[in-house]
Amino acid sequence: MTAIIDLRAVSFTYAIANGPALRNLSIAIPPGQRCAVIGRAGAGKSTLCALCAGFIPDFYQGQISGSAVVDGQNVIQQPVSELVRHVGLVSSNAFSQISGARFSVYEEIGFGLENLGVPPAEMIERIAWALRVMQLEDLRDRSPYELSGGQQQRLVLAAMLALQPPVLVLDEPSAQLDPPATAHLADILRDLARQGTTILFAEHRLDWVAELAERVIVLDGGRLIADGPPAEVLIDPLLLERQIGWPHPAQLAADAREHGFWPAARPLAVTTVDLLAGLRVGLATDQRAWSPQQPTAPDVNHASAGAQAVTADPGHTTTAPIVQLEQVHYLYPSGVAALGGVSLTIGAGERVALVGHNGAGKSTLVRHLNSLLSPSAGRVCVAGVDTRTTTVARCARHVGIVFQDIRNQLFARTVRDELRFGPRNLGYSPPRVEELVEQALQALDLVACADMHPYDLPLAQRRLVAIAAVLAMDTALLVLDEPTAGLDNASIALLRRLVRGLAARGKSVVVVSHDLDFCFEVLERVILMRDGVLVFDADWNTLDTHVLADAIGLPHGLYVAQALELPPDSALNALLTGGPHPSVKREA
Amino acid sequence: MSRTGFYIERVGVVQRLNPMTKLAAALLLIAATFLLPDLLTAPLIFLAALVPVSLLANVGRSFFGVVAKIMLPIAISLLLVQGLFFPIPNPTPVPVGPLTFRLEGLLFAARIAGRLLVLAGAPLLIFLTTHPIDLVQSLIARGVPRSIGYILLVAMQLVPSIAERASAVADTQRSRGLETQGNLLMRARGLLPLISPLIVGVLLEVEERAAALESRAFLAAGPKTTLRDVPDSPAQRWARWALVLVFVALVTWRVALVFS
Repeated sequence: MTAIIDLRAVSFTYAIANGPALRNLSIAIPPGQRCAVIGRAGAGKSTLCALCAGFIPDFYQGQISGSAVVDGQNVIQQPVSELVRHVGLVSSNAFSQISGARFSVYEEIGFGLENLGVPPAEMIERIAWALRVMQLEDLRDRSPYELSGGQQQRLVLAAMLALQPPVLVLDEPSAQLDPPATAHLADILRDLARQGTTILFAEHRLDWVAELAERVIVLDGGRLIADGPPAEVLIDPLLLERQIGWPHPAQLAADAREHGFWPAARPLAVTTVDLLAGLRVGLATDQRAWSPQQPTAPDVNHASAGAQAVTADPGHTTTAPIVQLEQVHYLYPSGVAALGGVSLTIGAGERVALVGHNGAGKSTLVRHLNSLLSPSAGRVCVAGVDTRTTTVARCARHVGIVFQDIRNQLFARTVRDELRFGPRNLGYSPPRVEELVEQALQALDLVACADMHPYDLPLAQRRLVAIAAVLAMDTALLVLDEPTAGLDNASIALLRRLVRGLAARGKSVVVVSHDLDFCFEVLERVILMRDGVLVFDADWNTLDTHVLADAIGLPHGLYVAQALELPPDSALNALLTGGPHPSVKREA
Repeated sequence: MSRTGFYIERVGVVQRLNPMTKLAAALLLIAATFLLPDLLTAPLIFLAALVPVSLLANVGRSFFGVVAKIMLPIAISLLLVQGLFFPIPNPTPVPVGPLTFRLEGLLFAARIAGRLLVLAGAPLLIFLTTHPIDLVQSLIARGVPRSIGYILLVAMQLVPSIAERASAVADTQRSRGLETQGNLLMRARGLLPLISPLIVGVLLEVEERAAALESRAFLAAGPKTTLRDVPDSPAQRWARWALVLVFVALVTWRVALVFS
């Protein structure tokens, strides 16, 4: 079969860059294939996407060589306006892809169809289909600008799907979606591919890649370093060596193999289904996995174990809570209740995951933690002071918040200046400011780029700068809103180390995230929100997993342990839900 | 301000008119207030045309609200300034309490205020009763470049979205200890971290949005179609011509008057 995407010896260097973004790339993708592109931040994934959709060198200028043909069109020569009937690109920032020229979700989906001159009757049919497929029917009359990030991402996908291009190029399509929406998107893309659409997608979430892709292309420094089916590529040791990482099921399978619970001849699993199957075979042949864990093997790496170590420290148990919420209600100016009686306390050294669907009230709750919002009823105290009687800037001495949209934050000319801003505002002495800045730079591995402009860094590193800038404020509580969004595995590993390090020093961390595996690996306490109230507030060992599973799903380790019905005290259960992970060892 | 500007979604006769018909009528009414010199022309047009139409269109409340908000401050300041200081030798005094108004000035102010009433009211009625896309599509159909039409529509939505972003930036920087209250010096110091992310954000968005528009075939060659049906009828086409004829007749009459 002839390739629908055919790249031959393509090299490309951006006009303002020092080195090439793509180096001598040759890839042939047959029609109907679901092909993933993975790699670290700055590996060339987005550049490859832009190239295949014809944006290079027409839109993003630079030096290009080689040939690139997509659906019979020379994408290097042809303008994008002529290529739109052949290939469609959806990039990772949904907000800026909304046309701005249409006032409802329905009309926004129609915008591209109008431009292509699709007859109205067909247009209406295609819009209805796209609305249904992306589950946007309830939102059809809403303004695109009044949607949440995840809804906007579904909208821009719907708008592109309606154009029905034979080749669909997606740059981090799952970045702003919650777990159920991500799983749903995988189903849609599988359906489309079955009907003949070729799908090329760049992605950091390797678990999702393993579930969806038929083929995985790995880029590193603009070069192709691996190419093949996910079951082979995603367990290639080269991926660990280049800090790209493995999907969670592969990591867990590797752990199991290390302890002899994985069938000897069986390749490591990359999907949850394979992991379960492999472990079932292993369990059938090896009864040791069921036996109670040796009491002499303390699992020092798991969150709850670490937490016990922290709470056991008498120095922390006696300190007053950092934040205390008492029966907090919050009504929007429109009268809609966003919080309906939330009470919770965050003490020193705690690591808390705040989880729940989009729109559950997580962001509203976070805004109460430093007086950005004041409760309509009830009380919030930060370091013992009622937030109604203080200012946000004063709360900032105790609570640092890193918001998800880092564009709203970065403004300084260098990374170092950006980091100085917070501690200076808090009135630290100049030597102390410098000390805090250096510590934060080191904690997030930013020393090498300290004198660069934040916007000259790849997006993943920019997010680390945003986190470091709040970290440098040295607050008792650090709140991170979706910190792992758009991060590669190497950066997520840095974050894991950071959170553990903070807790060890008696600092508290609250993470708002859809990334349950991250929460499971480094956080001890889980707060699940739904419709503005707390469903539960418990630690991983005691929470109701069925409720969590129904609401947002489970982390891989916990899911597998449940599915295998492992006794809580068994060795394999300890391995899956609390045992030392190879990733943790590698970090150490 | 809502995303669709002044537009209020209602079903009615006025809403079913073609935007061009409404535009032609509005232009004629505005022209009439300037071409018919009588002091009562403008108030009459307002009371006999704009007010009934606003009620017919079921947007009366918003119409009066906006007109009052725009016109009251202007009318009051006009009456005060022109009424008291109108430059004319031997003005006719109109004593009101301790103040002495000039009659000529009051009449001048009334005339200007009346014209402004129609000048603001007629377009406002169009905006209240016409979906912005219908208006832009009608303009494009009559030769206005698509890119201009796009800019008009995007500007309507961008203003509220930039305002939202500005408040998100302020929240973010206040969370980093930035004091936005206090003396002038403190506020001035806080300006860069508040404005810079906003500008960088908008600039980055411009590039991304341009790419997104290309992806959505905005520049694709070939005929375009429209999802929204802009209403029109032969009767309205005739009516538009009639409105144009009346306009021409009015101008001719005025010009003839000047030369006679």
